[in-house]
Amino acid sequence: MDLDLLQRFAIGEIDAFEALTRQFQGEIYSWIVRIVRDSGAAEDLTLETLWRIYRARHQFRPDGNFGAWARRIATNLAIDHLRRKRPEEGLMTEPAGAPPPDPLVQQETRTKIQMEFRGLPAKLQMAATLALIEEQPYEEIADALGTSVGAVKLRVFRAVRILRKRLNRLGIKPA
Amino acid sequence: MTEDDGRKMRDALKKSFPPVNTALRRDLWPQVLRRLEDRPARVPWYDWALVGLSAAMFLAFPRLILVFAYHL
Repeated sequence: MDLDLLQRFAIGEIDAFEALTRQFQGEIYSWIVRIVRDSGAAEDLTLETLWRIYRARHQFRPDGNFGAWARRIATNLAIDHLRRKRPEEGLMTEPAGAPPPDPLVQQETRTKIQMEFRGLPAKLQMAATLALIEEQPYEEIADALGTSVGAVKLRVFRAVRILRKRLNRLGIKPA
Repeated sequence: MTEDDGRKMRDALKKSFPPVNTALRRDLWPQVLRRLEDRPARVPWYDWALVGLSAAMFLAFPRLILVFAYHL
């Protein structure tokens, strides 16, 4: 990464911030949309992330990893969004030219799984989304959350355990 | 929880949540710039609190002004 560009960003040069925005906006959006699974919300959160990045520029060390720093800010915003969002609002998922859903998993069951999953605590939901649905490496998730790989694994484990209990109560057994 | 249970849950989740399109469809810079221009730099509340506290101190103890001026 261009050290000069990062130094100019840290002192508040708009041109440097523009260059970084254009370079990282796609990456930030892609990370956020994987967590919140809603393109409109992900765009808004990407904008907010960029705004916060600019406001926090004085805290950024130019010899640091800009991408990882940006991702941490994005992750915190995405978690806040999950906290605010009620489970029933989380049913919108946008297929991206997705393969047709497995006929064995019925629509009703999928809806119930989505609802129960959206009802998990935000941090557990986020870790499980990235680890199980998006199959992101645990190291990347841990870095974005500013925690250890062990802590992420524990969150995923807890998410699965809670979800299984709730689904069992509804008579759903993942097969 | 067995490994098999974990795998079943992962498969069920993957089937319930279709893949999302992770590509950003437009350049966000124009909006970021507009937002930067719309929001003038604000003085944080603690700066105002500090100014108020200093003013109160100077009113209560005017001699502090001399001490303060000496240290400038």
